Amino acid sequence: MLIELENVTKTYGAVTALAGLTASLPEGAVGLLGPNGAGKTTMIRSLLGLIAVDDGRGRVMGMDILAEPLEIRRKAGFAPEDECLFPGLTGVRFVAYAGELVGMPPRDALQRAHEVLDYVELGEARYRRVESYSTGMKQRLKIASAIVHDPNLLILDEPTNGMDPAGREEILELCRDLSRAKGMNLLISSHLLPDVEAVCEHVVVLGGGKVLAAGRIDELKRAHDRQYELRTRGDQRRFAELLTQRGATAEPVNDHLLIELPEGATVAMLWELADSNDEQIRSLRPRRSTLEEVFLRSLTLAEPN
Amino acid sequence: MPILDQGYQHWNGRLGARAPRWWAITRQGVKVQLKNRWVVMTLVGALIPALGLVAFLALWGLFEQKSAILTPLLFLFQNLPEELRAGPKGYRSAVWTISFSTFLEFQIFASMMLTLLVGPDLISQDLRFNALPLYFSKPLRRVDYFIGKLGIIAAFLLAVTLAPAVLAYVVGLGFSLDPATLRDTWRVLAASTAFSLIVAASAGLLMLAFSSLSRNSRHVTALWVGLWMVGNVASGAMMATPQRAWAPLLSYTSNLGNVRDALFGVDAEWEKLSRLFRAGREIAQSNAPPFGPFRRRAVQSSFDEDQPSSNPFSLSKPSWPWAAGVLAGLGAVSVVILSTRVRSLDRLK
Repeated sequence: MLIELENVTKTYGAVTALAGLTASLPEGAVGLLGPNGAGKTTMIRSLLGLIAVDDGRGRVMGMDILAEPLEIRRKAGFAPEDECLFPGLTGVRFVAYAGELVGMPPRDALQRAHEVLDYVELGEARYRRVESYSTGMKQRLKIASAIVHDPNLLILDEPTNGMDPAGREEILELCRDLSRAKGMNLLISSHLLPDVEAVCEHVVVLGGGKVLAAGRIDELKRAHDRQYELRTRGDQRRFAELLTQRGATAEPVNDHLLIELPEGATVAMLWELADSNDEQIRSLRPRRSTLEEVFLRSLTLAEPN
Repeated sequence: MPILDQGYQHWNGRLGARAPRWWAITRQGVKVQLKNRWVVMTLVGALIPALGLVAFLALWGLFEQKSAILTPLLFLFQNLPEELRAGPKGYRSAVWTISFSTFLEFQIFASMMLTLLVGPDLISQDLRFNALPLYFSKPLRRVDYFIGKLGIIAAFLLAVTLAPAVLAYVVGLGFSLDPATLRDTWRVLAASTAFSLIVAASAGLLMLAFSSLSRNSRHVTALWVGLWMVGNVASGAMMATPQRAWAPLLSYTSNLGNVRDALFGVDAEWEKLSRLFRAGREIAQSNAPPFGPFRRRAVQSSFDEDQPSSNPFSLSKPSWPWAAGVLAGLGAVSVVILSTRVRSLDRLK
């Protein structure tokens, strides 16, 4: 496992940010989902040893978060959520400085800064002062300064915050490439489900400082056992009534029916019903959850009764 | 996908553990400051007194050896007391002490100016541009950050205090051509080193604390000028009151000067020289010493024979532990301010 947390608790006065958080995150691209205040940023900070946890323990890339925080920060790259800059520097000096702070030799840091700025497509702006960069450029600059030392793990906290759609897509493409083509482990915190879905294979849903759901995205978005999306050629409302008479539930959604078969019934029931009522089925597919449903269901289940 | 992927490449270098963690901050900060021409001009200007010190020590070394090179300049030494001319080595320690102490008196001004130019941006701009999360997401602790920033100010202050003092000391040793010089003057080197470090640490900490109090560099500059100038003015005003003995405590630079005098033992060395000049008072009154402090001392001694303190630069002042206490207090307050204003990320957003 890339990251393991066991019963991690962190409180700030009366506020419990992490409530006995236990999680195991595999290698690859992992999304950290959760509403505001779920504990995403606190979890990231505890992974990097930036905060002193009240209780629990954890390991990141095999290193203890309590005993080896500086070593973790040497091996990981982190792009914080907020807009933050080293003032008064050009883009290339900014990234090189970030590399030197991690311990890169100055000459290597400068050479590498040029390379990663080209990679994040800031090559043209490398000699401009960073204060003059746009929001999207600053975001890419943060990513460049986080990957300058070629970390094993890149942690991005809300990387697409405040970005326009085109800039957002560029950042997501960058993340996909780092994860899939360059083999870098990614942990992306976001409250934007499409962002996580676009980049990650795994997801951890946080809420109230706890893990509400975790796993591979394609497994979480599993097919529902007895639910189907069905579209007919003829009168769908009439077909829905027929289904209801047979004990199924049928709910019109957009141009199709969302059907839940009764206990013990199979999909053959739909074909028989269509055949016996002279109806044509134009489309039939098992219903899959969206990530949004997984997210919302997790939050609902976690709500106290 | 392109045949030759020129995108992201892995880096096979090794992260060094040789340099301390704060070194990158200091290195970067010094590089940035050296692009400021005002800083460079002040730095160069501050080295002029060092040239004077080097020249004086070279001259004194030749005088000790009674070098023939000094023949054209003999008139400079004619009015010195006979005892001094006959055995200058006996007064080596006093002359070196007063020379280095006077040099560092000049350098306090240069240090205050350099701190004013270098310091205001150091933390205030990091706060303004929210750079702290970037620093602390690297393998740095808060103390590394502080030391790195302090190192920037210290580098400039030591460049105008310790570096020229050490250079002058080496030149002085070279011109003395006497191994006993090291025995006679080691305390001068030790005091110069200690005082330079005290100035760098004290002024650096204070400036960092000021810099952390505002996100506007101009406000920080105003605070520093206030500490320096207003303190001196207040001290001067208090001199007219019955509590004038405590007046120097209000002045930051006077406190530094008081500690410097104690480190060098300046008063004792002045006393030694003044005894020499008193002994030859008749000569001194008829043929006043030809340069600087000696002339002033000779004139003063003719008026204030009964004064216990012989240092012509020293005003009535509290004993040095008071001054050291003020500096230590300011340092402690600075540390408290820094730890309050520059917080870790261990807090709720």
